[in-house]
Amino acid sequence: MALSTHTTASGFLLPSIHSAPPFFTQQPNASTQSIVGEQWIRLILAYARHRNLFTLRIEDAETTGGDWDEILRNERIHRRLLPSHLSFLFSEMVSKNIAVYEPPKQTRSVLLYWRLPEEWAEVLHGWAISTAQLNTILTFYEITDPPIESPLTGIPVTILRRAITVLNKTGRAQIIGVADGEGVRFFAGT
Amino acid sequence: MHRLGGVGLAAFERQQQSQRSFSALSSELSASQVTALHSQLSQFRSALQTFASTHRESIRSDPAFRHAFQQMCASIGVDPLAGPRKGGWWAEMLGLGDWQYELGVQIVDVCVSTRERNGGVIEMKELVRLVSKLRGVGGGVITEDDVVRSIKTLQPLGAGYEVVEVGGGRKMVRSVVKELDEDQAIVLTIAQEEGGRIVEDVLVMRRGWTRDRATAALENMLLRDGLCWLDEQDERSGRAYWVPSVMRWDD
Repeated sequence: MALSTHTTASGFLLPSIHSAPPFFTQQPNASTQSIVGEQWIRLILAYARHRNLFTLRIEDAETTGGDWDEILRNERIHRRLLPSHLSFLFSEMVSKNIAVYEPPKQTRSVLLYWRLPEEWAEVLHGWAISTAQLNTILTFYEITDPPIESPLTGIPVTILRRAITVLNKTGRAQIIGVADGEGVRFFAGT
Repeated sequence: MHRLGGVGLAAFERQQQSQRSFSALSSELSASQVTALHSQLSQFRSALQTFASTHRESIRSDPAFRHAFQQMCASIGVDPLAGPRKGGWWAEMLGLGDWQYELGVQIVDVCVSTRERNGGVIEMKELVRLVSKLRGVGGGVITEDDVVRSIKTLQPLGAGYEVVEVGGGRKMVRSVVKELDEDQAIVLTIAQEEGGRIVEDVLVMRRGWTRDRATAALENMLLRDGLCWLDEQDERSGRAYWVPSVMRWDD
């Protein structure tokens, strides 16, 4: 059988390994599993970036109709990623610092860092400059849901806060308490 | 009485004289033989040079011609691959040695880059396909024969590259130092026929193996050697093994 790539309805190009039936099973051989796991993690992050998704839950592998069906299932070969395998992938991603359990102290849901906080910090600072919002106070809501869609639209507050912390350390942002919660002020920096 | 050669000192001298002239004649003869050989050799050289310059391109590009050429070399006991260090101006003139070594490097490239998904065993046809793709040449330009030859040139490196016959004339190339036992070779053959999927039942039915033997062979390939991948969602058996090295990957 020839394993070929496939373009999903959302325009995402699935690698050919996604049409290999054993790809969906957690492998008992550790070195084989590390290959499979690496491929899955790459696929999950690429898909998250493609669809601008931030959260992945074990439920996404248990039920249909979620945002992740296109990669967690392959109806053409009747395979799906089993929840136990996904849970294992979560722990891998968390140990590699490309995801964090969110909320903390549970293992059924993760926040994906398809950009690292440092990278988000640069995106955030770049956005503040290009929209001429330096030195003004912005609420978090104004950043995550701006009137004109930006690369930061929909970014979870947890990631936003970490990006601001990065900027704060280099003197390019300051967190300020505002009437209805928190705000931030950006500086040009050095 | 007249004796040939006579008697006495004069005869002794005459005998010596004739011996001398014989030896002179013999050295003259061998000298002329050597010159003749030299001229033959240089003729052969120049003929080969002409041959090389006229056919070099076809040897490199035409697999049928290359095969015929290699057969000719084998029948006259000349190794066209004997490199410059082995005193072979053949290889130098034809550039065939370089060609073969290049191919060897590309074989290693393909074997190493696919190793993680096939566990170090690749099907010959797939290897030929990937090497051809790497070279940017169409199918048929590189033959299995060429690959087998190149793998032989890799032997001094001791990396364990080997062509393994798995039955039915099918060949696989092994790039890790790992013994394939007979049962594993059979599993590979059958998996190949089934497109990569293999289950105990098939081995029991088609080979008359006991279930234990089939399970042991498959579990070893899965757990010990990493040559198989497990599929726990198989529709028919619930649990199936897949051999990635005989599956066709399109990327």
